[in-house]
Amino acid sequence: MSAPEIVVDGRGLEHPEPLERVLAALDQLQPGQRLRFLIHRQPYPLYDILSRHRYAYTVEAHADGHFEILISPP
Amino acid sequence: MMTAGLSLEQAPPFNVPLRFFLTAPPFLLLAAGLLLWQGPDLFASRWLPATLAMTHLLTLGFMAQVMLGALLQILPVVVGVVVPRPRLTAALIHIPLTLGALVLATAFLGGGPTWFQGAAGLLGLGFGVALLAIHLVLWRAPVVGSTVIALRCALGALLVTVVLGVLLSGFLAWGWRLPVFELTQLHATWGLLGWTVLLVTGVAYQVVPMFQITPPYPTWLSRGFAPLLAVLLAMWSMFVLIGWRAAASWTGAALAVGAVLVAVATLWLLTRRRRKIGDPTLNFWRASMASLLAGALLWLLTPWVPTLAQAPQVEVLLGILSIFGFAVAVINGMLYKIVPFLAWFHLQAQLFQHVKVPNMKQLLPDACVRQQWWSYLAALLLLLAAAVQPRLFAYPAALAVGVAGGWLGINLLRVCRIYYRVLRSGALSSA
Repeated sequence: MSAPEIVVDGRGLEHPEPLERVLAALDQLQPGQRLRFLIHRQPYPLYDILSRHRYAYTVEAHADGHFEILISPP
Repeated sequence: MMTAGLSLEQAPPFNVPLRFFLTAPPFLLLAAGLLLWQGPDLFASRWLPATLAMTHLLTLGFMAQVMLGALLQILPVVVGVVVPRPRLTAALIHIPLTLGALVLATAFLGGGPTWFQGAAGLLGLGFGVALLAIHLVLWRAPVVGSTVIALRCALGALLVTVVLGVLLSGFLAWGWRLPVFELTQLHATWGLLGWTVLLVTGVAYQVVPMFQITPPYPTWLSRGFAPLLAVLLAMWSMFVLIGWRAAASWTGAALAVGAVLVAVATLWLLTRRRRKIGDPTLNFWRASMASLLAGALLWLLTPWVPTLAQAPQVEVLLGILSIFGFAVAVINGMLYKIVPFLAWFHLQAQLFQHVKVPNMKQLLPDACVRQQWWSYLAALLLLLAAAVQPRLFAYPAALAVGVAGGWLGINLLRVCRIYYRVLRSGALSSA
């Protein structure tokens, strides 16, 4: 069984703290483990870093305006 | 709803916006030097050649420089469309703009028609490339939100400002017969109230809620303000040109009310920050919006108060409030958000999981920002005092502008020094 999902809630935090937290969490991510990132706006700069380092991710936009990004390691 | 994230391989390299940001503070030093050289006379009227030279060192050398550099950076992030050939585009804007600002200031200081011709060519080229590149991006925007609407209006206002500027240099360089007084009023108003206010508000819709953790701007304001202001500016310009003075006064008053509205809305949002920890760049936003408010109220009151209407100091005060107060403050504050963030971001993107990257507060400690803030505030207050009492305050104001500009430059260079040091150590450790 793989390790439980890591959840980072960056909603309402001052820029760029959400990005700092999610990058710190990516460092801890084990193979097969996933990271769920909640954020109040589209984190475009994060996508840049994720694709540069070949992480897979999906983005879900919620009706209340927040975004949920599900990240898997390369 | 599932959306594909933008792959921002599109974010331009760090040195694309950086070359603009690092060129701006030396122009504050040049403006300070000019003020030291010319002394109290510079405040006698906004129409004096040396005053016009000073104005353009600030508006072209400092303001336009950072505004265009920042646009090249944020457009791909906010709008999601890439600026074509970012390094080449940046060079084709940055070099003519920098040289053009210097040549134009020299022309005003006695260089004569040839220098005005040179300035018109250089600035026409730099702004032409900028208008074209940014226009291409803004019209391909997949989503048209309030920011894109405001930026499109701002860009239209920049086009009008540049065309009017080139026409005015035609008068100075080639002796074209033009209604110079009216065109100068239009040029200054489209530049400051059109291009600058609209760009700042368009960017504020994004960055005030993001950096200061405030509620968003009300939608009616953020979507309606820019188009309304642009239409009012066009009407006001037409009335000025055909000489309908009463109609021009009323539309001018409506423009000032618009500026009051956006300043009050921003100041109000800043009181509703959800985070109670102080942020040193908050002071710059407050000073900027307070200056916009004061400038708009002064403009609103002047036609109705005979003693104000006849005082040449009023126009000088309006210039200081809108240029050094409103625009320089917000740009100075934004540079402290943009430059450390970009340095940190580009280090993360390149060195992630190889080297520990310093965080933003290590790249630029709050103390550095706070200290420079006091020098900026002193410069603003001394300039305002010098507009009223030039003999007493002109030289202290010059020194304060120099200190504020130099200090800003030192703070930005500090970030860059750390950036390149960490980048080098990263290259060594992964080699």
